[in-house]
Amino acid sequence: MRITVRLFGLFRIDRFKEEVRDVPDGSSPRAVAEQLQLPTRLIGTVLIGGVHARLDDQLKDGDVLTVLPILGGG
Amino acid sequence: MRFLTSHPAAEPERVLYRRCTVDLRTGGSKLEDVPCRNLEEVLGGFGRSFQLLAERRITTAYSEENPLIVNTGLLTGTNAMTGMRAYFSGYSPLKGSKAGLPAAIWSAGSGNFGTWFKWTGLDELIFEGRSAEPVYALIREGADGPVLELKPAGALLGLSTHDKIMALKAQYAGAHFAAIGQAGEHWETNFMGAVALSTDTELRTGEDKCRFAGRGGMGSLMGYKNLIALVAQAGDKLKPLSEAVKKVNINVVKGGGSARLQPIKRGGGGGTWANYDVLQAFHAVPTNNFRPAGNDLPERLFRENVEKSYEIKSEACWRCGITCHNNVHEKKADGSRGQFLAKFDYEPLNLLGTNLGLHDPAQAAALIKLGDNYGMDSITLGVTVSYVLSYNERHPERRLLNGATFGDFEKIRELVVGAGEGRLPEIGRGSMRLSTQTGETAYAYHVKGLELPAYQPETNPGYAWAIAGGHMSMATYGLLTREGKSDLESWVTGITQTKLNIVGFDMIGLCKFFDIGKGIGTQMVVDCLKSECGLEVTVEELAASVRRAFLRGLALELRQGYTKAEFTLPAEVFEQPNGAIKLPPVVASKAFFDELSKRVWAVFEPELEGLLPPPGPDRPR
Repeated sequence: MRITVRLFGLFRIDRFKEEVRDVPDGSSPRAVAEQLQLPTRLIGTVLIGGVHARLDDQLKDGDVLTVLPILGGG
Repeated sequence: MRFLTSHPAAEPERVLYRRCTVDLRTGGSKLEDVPCRNLEEVLGGFGRSFQLLAERRITTAYSEENPLIVNTGLLTGTNAMTGMRAYFSGYSPLKGSKAGLPAAIWSAGSGNFGTWFKWTGLDELIFEGRSAEPVYALIREGADGPVLELKPAGALLGLSTHDKIMALKAQYAGAHFAAIGQAGEHWETNFMGAVALSTDTELRTGEDKCRFAGRGGMGSLMGYKNLIALVAQAGDKLKPLSEAVKKVNINVVKGGGSARLQPIKRGGGGGTWANYDVLQAFHAVPTNNFRPAGNDLPERLFRENVEKSYEIKSEACWRCGITCHNNVHEKKADGSRGQFLAKFDYEPLNLLGTNLGLHDPAQAAALIKLGDNYGMDSITLGVTVSYVLSYNERHPERRLLNGATFGDFEKIRELVVGAGEGRLPEIGRGSMRLSTQTGETAYAYHVKGLELPAYQPETNPGYAWAIAGGHMSMATYGLLTREGKSDLESWVTGITQTKLNIVGFDMIGLCKFFDIGKGIGTQMVVDCLKSECGLEVTVEELAASVRRAFLRGLALELRQGYTKAEFTLPAEVFEQPNGAIKLPPVVASKAFFDELSKRVWAVFEPELEGLLPPPGPDRPR
């Protein structure tokens, strides 16, 4: 299936801002993150179609997956 | 501290802390060992100072009866990583109820001062009254314990925070310092004075890399007392590093809790600056006085864009492995590092940059540096200036002050300088007072008289119950944005149970980055207390103590005249919903907030009974 992946912050370093990618059917955000070698401990939020989701949720064809670093005070 | 028990929760009176009370009117001082009344007093910080403040009837912050309390936490000055905190508490000149009474406040800061203060042998220093002449306090180790002297400080007047520290450094080798800037000296017209705390990097390099206890105007209270600086002179008192604490420290650095704060080149998230990227994904980066417009302007202060023209140096507090400071330097033509410009933390960068309509890193850096040098809280300063700019945008025919508008750097700079030099009380006294004067309070972004940090209130109704500033005393700022929670149940639980735990760090002497997600009710803290202090405390006892301290703060707010109606968000949030913010709007609706308020008070209210001293002749009624 084909999804759009949007990356923010440090995840863009040596990668991309937005890319259309082919991933196996039923892939999860975690599988996509692993494929992209994103450090999962720095993932704060994932959105599917702009809606908060979990790393192990299931993606479907045409989804837009957004991966954000951790938000924190300071 | 003297520990005559290893079980402080059961026998707090067998833990004694060393207090020095100084009468600034006479210069006299009294040293005593004070038995703790409960675990909060053992832990320290605001857990102790708020109990002292609750015993006083204070109706105006600038009164001789209002003490300035300087203290530390149990783990300040120990081997526990980040254990460097010093706390400044008193009734605030800035934060207050509509009834006109000042709120109790504490402000926390790192730097080396807290550690050196603790190593003098003192746990708490209370300044009573005010001095007739400007003085600084020298605290040093004597043969029989800590010794305190007041010294003339006339020569320090008019200097910036950093210059005061460097002038004192020339006199006191091996010491660390706390100092106010010109803003605190102009306490009558500037209520947002911060206290600057020296760092080893600052003293070694001469660069103005202080840390700050900024919130609530404790620097202005110092200025009122004619107390210009504190000097702590002591030798190193660190015990040998135990295996238990070593393990904890490794976990702090390499475990999940601080990962986002570590430098990117070490596999971390690069510090709080990364919040820009996260919030921009939702178009929720505060812009032009908290009215993001759904455009890409905030991206100009993204790290990836700043790095193109500036050199960013990752640095850490003393002996801290988290390395969360992003110090921005000029980049020379040959690509090497040039002059230090400013430290880019999310809050000051946003509130003195994007939220003023400024998107040039050099301009934001210049304002951050000015605010730091004059010794002003960057949050209160930025938000009050953005209120002026917003007013001027709405009223082009009758603009305030110099007529500055969003993006006009030169005029904004004039406002910052004017506030720092005490010439602009309209800004120096904060957004609550200014908006009351103009009659336009809806877009003054404060809650209970203390300006909001750089998170849109539309995303955080929990602000209303924060007791000492929006994000550092109520950690609900990420509940919607990060966790995606927009249901009432999650918000009630967050505010009344899980997210208030963040205040524990402002008792025990640790920085929040020790374990920001979990608070101090953890095995890591239990292990540190056992190793460093010989104390047996359970996770549950710690959590219960933190909760009591938080609730005591809430009870004290009510005692100082706050009505429940004042526990709310700026009216613009409800009256003019911002459709540009790409998050569920439900939590920013008045109906949601009203229901949340009922539910939160239903939990908190029964627990407030008996937390404050009973009314008496010298106590608030």
